[in-house]
Amino acid sequence: MKDSCSSVSKLLEKYFDQESSDKERLLVEGHLQDCPACRDALRSMEELRTLIKVPVEEAVQKEDFPWVWQKIEREIPLQEKLTWWQSVRSWLDISPLFKKKVWIPAVATVVVLLFITAQIIFRKTPSYPDASVVEYIESETNNVMVYDLEKEKVTVIWLFEGSEKEPATT
Amino acid sequence: MAIRGVGEGTRHDMRRIAFLLIVFFIFSFFSLSTALAQVQVRMRVILASNAGQDIDPSLRDVYKDLGSLFSFTSYRLVREESLNLSLNQPARITGRTGKAFLEVTLVGQHKNVAELRLRVVREGTEILNTQVRLFSRRTVLVGGPRYGEGVVIYALYGNF
Repeated sequence: MKDSCSSVSKLLEKYFDQESSDKERLLVEGHLQDCPACRDALRSMEELRTLIKVPVEEAVQKEDFPWVWQKIEREIPLQEKLTWWQSVRSWLDISPLFKKKVWIPAVATVVVLLFITAQIIFRKTPSYPDASVVEYIESETNNVMVYDLEKEKVTVIWLFEGSEKEPATT
Repeated sequence: MAIRGVGEGTRHDMRRIAFLLIVFFIFSFFSLSTALAQVQVRMRVILASNAGQDIDPSLRDVYKDLGSLFSFTSYRLVREESLNLSLNQPARITGRTGKAFLEVTLVGQHKNVAELRLRVVREGTEILNTQVRLFSRRTVLVGGPRYGEGVVIYALYGNF
């Protein structure tokens, strides 16, 4: 079935701008072979583009781009600056990250590091099964006695003091 | 073949994630270190004397030990508290007048063992300085400083 000009003309602009799909392109090209009106329309578009392109290119050549960039640079500092607190908050806002897949390696890294850290932190340090309870003891004013009751699991450090003093209390 | 570079936005995101991870780990490390470096010690201050025959009911659990060790006839509980000791943070049990105190400092921690430095100071003079390894479920008694007709006994019990 031959495609009508009305349906193809809608696709002609897309075809001209090279934005049509393969299917659309084949459809338009097949139609153009048999339709002088649409060929004329396409030619008109090309002429129009040439008509516009030449003065634009001439204007671009005349334009002083360094001057334009200087003008832009002058405008940049005039834009509203965020306060330091707003900057920090926007920087620490992680909600946009959840829209991306970057959190997957991040979570994996966290899990691995937590595992390694837990091994280090919760590693059992050796106890002192045979070590004595009292490491050192000294008193410059009184005699001191140390007594161990292994069965009762009690160690006594006794200070021999003669004077009458107060006890610790609330 | 097209080669796609890493975008500026992705690099920025990765920097943010790296920063947040570093902050998270530093905070976690210090929190855990602080939490793990705490030791709970049950402290009782007992006044032992030969004045009377009264035994404080709350001292029944240690009376057997006290009775086998000492010849006092009266044991009275003056103070009892649970000390949460942090590393190198001294805790003081001060007397009524503030002239005498026992200072307990956690100087090390191992599995089921807390290393404690104990100082008894009276009127600015250190009368006892010792360092002990307090094992879990074990009692260390520091006694001898006199008060009235009796003596003071500090009982430390490892509860960790």
